[in-house]
Amino acid sequence: MPASDILPVNQTIGGVSEQLTGIPLHFPARRRWLIAMTIASLLLALFVVSVVALFTRGVGIWGINVPVTWAFAIHNYVWWLGIGHAGTLISALLLLTGSEWRNSLNRFAETMTLFAVVCAGIYPVLHLGRPWYLYWMFPYPATMGVWPQFRSPLEWDIWAVLTYLSVSVLFWYTGLIPDLADARDRAKKRGWQIFFGVASLGWRGSAVHWMRWSQAYRIMAAIAVPLVVSVHSEISLLFAASQIPGWHSTLFPPYFVLGAAFSGFAVVSIIAVALRTMFDLKNLVTERHLDLLGKVLLATGLMTAYGYVFEIFDVLYSGNAHDLQTMIDRLTGAYAWTYWSAVFFNFVVLQALWWRPARRTPWALLLISASVVIGMWLERYMILVTSLYRDFLVSSWSKFTPSFWDWSTYFGTIGLFLVPFLLAIRFIPSISIFETEKTLADEKEAHHG
Amino acid sequence: MTKPRQWTSLEELEHDPALQSWVAAEYPAAATLEPVARREFIKLMAASFALAGLTGCEKSPFTTALPYVDQPDAATIGVPRYYATAVTLDGYAQPVLATTYDGRPTKLDGLPGHPVNKGRSDAFMQAAILQLYDPDRAQQPSYRNEPISWQDLVGKFSALRDQWKATQGASVRLLVEPYTSPTLQRQISEWLAEFPKTKIHLHDPTGLQDRRALTAAAYGEPFDLHYRLDRCGTVISFDDDFLGPGPHQVGNAIRWSEARRGEGKPGIHLYCAESIPGATGAMAAMRIAVDASRMSVLADTLAVKIGVKAVAAPGLSKDEALWVSRAADAIRNAPDKALVTSGLGAGRETASRVAQINQAIGAPGRTLAFTKPANDLSSSGSFAALIDDIHSGAVETLVIINSNPAYSAPGALNFSDTMARVACTIHIGQQRDETGSLCTYQLASTHSLESWSDALAVDGTATIIQPTVTPFYDVRTDHQIIEMLLGHGDIAADAPVKETWRARFGDVFEDRWRQALHDGFVAGNSAPVIPQPQNSVEAINADNSGEVDVVFRLDPAVWDGRFSNVGWLQELPKPLTTLTWDNVITVSPGMAKRNGLDNGDHVEVAVNGRSISGPVWILPGQATNTISLALGYGRRRAGRVGDRIGYDAYSIRPVDYPWRARGTILKRDGSSELASTQLHHRLEGFDFVREVTEQHPALPPPPSQASMYPAWPSAKHAWGMVIDLDTCIGCNACVVACTAENNVPVVGKDQVIAGREMHWLRIARYYSGEPETPHSYFQPIPCMQCEDAPCEMGCPVHATTHSPEGVNQMVYNRCIGTRTCSSYCPYKVRRFNFYDYRNAPESPEQAAHNPDVTLRSRGVMEKCTYCTQRIEAAHAAADKEGRDLREGDIITACQSACPTEAIVFGDINDPNSKISKLRRSGRHYALLEELGTRPRTTYLARWNDSPDDTERT
Amino acid sequence: MAQIFSPVADTWLRLSMLALLALMSGTLVGAIGIAHSAYVTSTDRVPHQPVPFSHRHHVGELGIDCRYCHADAEKGPKAGLPPTATCMTCHSQIWTNAAMLAPVRESLANHTPIPWVRVAKLPDYVFFRHDVHIAKGVGCVSCHGRIDKMPLTYRAKAFTMKFCLDCHRDPIPHLRPQDHITDMTWTPKNKDTPARVSQIATHAGIRVGELTHCYVCHR
Repeated sequence: MPASDILPVNQTIGGVSEQLTGIPLHFPARRRWLIAMTIASLLLALFVVSVVALFTRGVGIWGINVPVTWAFAIHNYVWWLGIGHAGTLISALLLLTGSEWRNSLNRFAETMTLFAVVCAGIYPVLHLGRPWYLYWMFPYPATMGVWPQFRSPLEWDIWAVLTYLSVSVLFWYTGLIPDLADARDRAKKRGWQIFFGVASLGWRGSAVHWMRWSQAYRIMAAIAVPLVVSVHSEISLLFAASQIPGWHSTLFPPYFVLGAAFSGFAVVSIIAVALRTMFDLKNLVTERHLDLLGKVLLATGLMTAYGYVFEIFDVLYSGNAHDLQTMIDRLTGAYAWTYWSAVFFNFVVLQALWWRPARRTPWALLLISASVVIGMWLERYMILVTSLYRDFLVSSWSKFTPSFWDWSTYFGTIGLFLVPFLLAIRFIPSISIFETEKTLADEKEAHHG
Repeated sequence: MTKPRQWTSLEELEHDPALQSWVAAEYPAAATLEPVARREFIKLMAASFALAGLTGCEKSPFTTALPYVDQPDAATIGVPRYYATAVTLDGYAQPVLATTYDGRPTKLDGLPGHPVNKGRSDAFMQAAILQLYDPDRAQQPSYRNEPISWQDLVGKFSALRDQWKATQGASVRLLVEPYTSPTLQRQISEWLAEFPKTKIHLHDPTGLQDRRALTAAAYGEPFDLHYRLDRCGTVISFDDDFLGPGPHQVGNAIRWSEARRGEGKPGIHLYCAESIPGATGAMAAMRIAVDASRMSVLADTLAVKIGVKAVAAPGLSKDEALWVSRAADAIRNAPDKALVTSGLGAGRETASRVAQINQAIGAPGRTLAFTKPANDLSSSGSFAALIDDIHSGAVETLVIINSNPAYSAPGALNFSDTMARVACTIHIGQQRDETGSLCTYQLASTHSLESWSDALAVDGTATIIQPTVTPFYDVRTDHQIIEMLLGHGDIAADAPVKETWRARFGDVFEDRWRQALHDGFVAGNSAPVIPQPQNSVEAINADNSGEVDVVFRLDPAVWDGRFSNVGWLQELPKPLTTLTWDNVITVSPGMAKRNGLDNGDHVEVAVNGRSISGPVWILPGQATNTISLALGYGRRRAGRVGDRIGYDAYSIRPVDYPWRARGTILKRDGSSELASTQLHHRLEGFDFVREVTEQHPALPPPPSQASMYPAWPSAKHAWGMVIDLDTCIGCNACVVACTAENNVPVVGKDQVIAGREMHWLRIARYYSGEPETPHSYFQPIPCMQCEDAPCEMGCPVHATTHSPEGVNQMVYNRCIGTRTCSSYCPYKVRRFNFYDYRNAPESPEQAAHNPDVTLRSRGVMEKCTYCTQRIEAAHAAADKEGRDLREGDIITACQSACPTEAIVFGDINDPNSKISKLRRSGRHYALLEELGTRPRTTYLARWNDSPDDTERT
Repeated sequence: MAQIFSPVADTWLRLSMLALLALMSGTLVGAIGIAHSAYVTSTDRVPHQPVPFSHRHHVGELGIDCRYCHADAEKGPKAGLPPTATCMTCHSQIWTNAAMLAPVRESLANHTPIPWVRVAKLPDYVFFRHDVHIAKGVGCVSCHGRIDKMPLTYRAKAFTMKFCLDCHRDPIPHLRPQDHITDMTWTPKNKDTPARVSQIATHAGIRVGELTHCYVCHR
């Protein structure tokens, strides 16, 4: 097949349809799925336990203190939200730029985004001292006669995350409708028919439907793309708006957005490889896809690395004693290991992607992406802790050690992510059917034409 | 979160069944109280419920309200009343003004107008109130550890008295600690009249009598020394921490600060030779670390320079020589304003030498005053003598008055076992402590705040101690109990005291009595005398056993152990180590290096055969071969707070001279985690603490700062605070005062280790220079009340906002606990309730809470409010009178406690206010000025008065 | 193959979507409504008292001044409930054997307080002072309502934070001369109102604009 091809043309369009709707309808690979599901459920149970402990005893069960009043809760929040971003980027941005190859990836990327954002969104609630008063953060005519404070980055946060969540849901669902209809039409059992029937909102695939649909889909894409940038910029202001050395920098917004995309693409690659092997989709998620993902990963990785470099330059250039102290402490202090392992996992390992075979070998890409995910987690940890534990006054310098509950809550959220995600790939087409078919059709045309 | 039940008034609770049953369970004694006292008591305990809480925004239920049946005219519900009285430390009166709400004392402050403490206080005075509510107090008398009624006791005592009569009391011993109470004096002489052969013995763990012994060695007879620091220009101190904790601290600190302020430049300069770093050394112009046993050598050399002594002692190091010559120069410059002092650790020889130097420079009568001890106990037998008598079987009855020798006697004497040989032992005290629990009779006595008694302040001024509340428990005052022992029955509490003073006041008794109670003291103190020092100086007892000097110090937080069960003091960061909840063995950096020791490592310290082991702490500026042990820990029967903490230094304390010994130190396996509130003490070249010198008396003016925010529109008044780093001696009085005023919780050792202590006001302790020869600084850090506060813009729910008068407000009941404010705070002065830190609702300590300050529940942020309840109360008072606020209407708790007036609060809009004048001083600066937060709390730079004008910071 | 859904299915779908939307917004409005309701603010109940004391009789008909019984109102933060002795000043003379007054007599005899049920009650974290409000010319009726018309006492005003703020934001219209503090019926004469009242305010030295900051009531 010519290099321009994304999908192998030696497959029929109907075949693709069969194959993909087959996943929810006849569900191959039951065993592997069940194993994954078991592990995920255990993690979810751990999450529930942790949250109960948290709400009954208070945030004191975590390792936080004064000055390190924010740690795991906030840094996992940032991490999850970052991961979420790749989904929207892939679908929306690449849709607008008309990069066909996204069509095999966007569906599960978007699904991943949804649940990542949910995991992120739950942290700001958990980390509250009195979570039962969360509703005070919303503007409503209260008997107290006071309103939320709109100057606060946290207030913006609420809106940013909620907007992002709703837009992602709509975008994801809109993209899903034609496939749900397809699945409906192929369903044999009554139950499945009704399920997909209701879900597809009476889609008949008429020309009018298609016209309106593609308009709506593109408009939403146009909304989603700037949102990706704005949301994570806003999250970065949570830190940049303070004066704490190591946070108080105009570099933060781009730095965070790029980091987000970076970690997001890493997770997309992981899922791509996983699904590909789990449901044997080598014909739809090809080595070409992996190769492209690898390239994107490398690109965003290098941009993030630029952030690191500039951060140091920034400090040296400003010559601010406190910033300098924090920077030196990051490189050599008690938590230097977080900095250097972040550098290693994020950028050193990444360099393998310059090498074509590494990009095209699934397990290699998998390992590199995993390393990136870990690296980005360490980076968030480093940004949070090293800035807070030694800020301005020497007399308030302290230390931070995560407690058991810090870890359990964190691993718990991984369960919170996996369970619904696994359910999603179980019950809905996890690769966009009609879009892959479209790609395939175009290619076939190209060959015959 | 458990929502505490809401209460409306103290009265309403009086008949609440829950409370009733709780009282019955917790205070069986209460059942025996007569109705009025009982209602008082229940009402008081009800306060603990009433205070249980900051609750959410749930609907307010209709609750019961119980009005008085017949309301006293004086009582206005919710309006505080004040009593002038005193608490005691080492037998000396600490005159206080007690604030009471609805019959329960909530706060102690120094008594305004008192000649010694002039309304100022120290940490112990501030914390004394918590002993009143100590849940582990002895709540009724006991006989062989079984409860017994006072009526029955009266009978038993008369039987005892018959035995005593037989021998004219020869078989009876009274054991007392140093005391000044005229009534107790009178009663003891009465006792001697009744039983002439009774012997009095003195147990003196805190060294009052040892100090007198030093003066006796130097001057032939015992005296009390009073430093007239306000008249001094130079003070040379040999291991005498006169600005450190103790009964003299407040008086000394006031005088020193008066002199220190001078006109435009410091008026007094301290030259300190210290073995263990203390407050005095931290404030010194020139400080040198010298082993305790070498003090006399330096004193001799100084004597030579002054011309008191002919031959110089050999072998002074270069630094020592320099220090001595600088000190000598300082004296020669103005001998009439010089004073030389020496402490217990420096020993008799130094004391005698110092006496001669003072004589030579004419200090006595000028900078040094002497008084004959108001209550000279030197005639009474020593503690060791008592032990011998017991062993010889001469003692059948031992009466121990307010002393705990079973804990605080040197271990070598093994008092506990010895006491078992005495047929009948009687213990009078508030606690059923190590001694009380061993005694045949434990006679539960009252706290000063519920007593009729009297005592003298350090200058001899008498205070008549009056009760601020009727006793909660079935207890009696010391005087009542002694009357009982004397066979006068169970008489009224005020009778013995009145009897004493009726004799003194004569026929104008009623008026003078009322006057005395109103003023809180009886004018007139001990008359000064001017003695001649001995020429002979007793030879240094050259004890060269062991390798190191072991110095015994009373703990700055729990003193000799009497405050062990007071949570406020256990959690109080000790001045130089910032350690809490423990005592440590401090060693010098040099010794640590030699023995490969790190903070917390366990070592064993042996002194002539006996040894203890505990964790070490490396203390910058400690003398190389000196280690210091802190007394007051390792208690076994202090109560639920103070038991089994730290090591017991008494167990290896020498009998003959209990303040200094030779010993050995040995590294042991293992180490323990210590609860320090400040992990890093080096200033690291930052300018948090700034200094000025006489050459450069003013700091460079701050650069003007642009701001994108408009200037804060100020109301008529703008509150601010200025803290003078040149007079802050790090005594912690402000910290405890703040804790008491603002219901700041005690969180316990684990939480402190986790970095979650709650003090709204922390005293940062820094040092600069080499660890061997550091310069120490104290910097109190309350909330800075920034005009452009980073915390305020962070809060999503408006829980922290800015008041028109410039106070950064924290509203607990609006806080949802995002902790953003704390993350954004550059000064990290905010404190967070990670758990529910409030006392258990049934704890008597609830009654100590200030009803004008909300108790903070789990998950909310809190911080210094400039004592907003006092500001609002002042506003209310002024508004009612339709007048404006005046300077002095508002005094914050920390300000009123500070013995050196280093903390000044006031209106910075008023150009003539004291604070405005200070803010115009050349020494004025803001902490982290460059951040543009525009703090309202600002500082005055330290004077660097080092004679060799070295740049320190 | 057979159709899964009937032709009207679409309509049903659209309708149910609308319904869902309506439900969600309805719930929100409802919740906010309940928070303001008389039930939550307890203005709808007359709690049972040990003695059926009638303010209407004592205040409205006999015209006894509020401060005769609530004597601490001007002196301190709390108005206080009358001690039994106060009741007895009259009831030792009149209605001496009335059954309904038995609890009062017992109280005096046994020296045990009368367990009144509190009607006007603020949360613990609100530090309200009667004395200042009276000194500044806020009448009893402003918060306690027409107590002189209450046979049995109930909470006339919903003590929400908003209720307090409405006055603290603009106190002037709520002020009255000192001699009318306890007057239940006083209303400013329409013609001279603004001048008169603002003159009261200036005389009382009210710090208008400073009364809404948090520490005025919370600490």
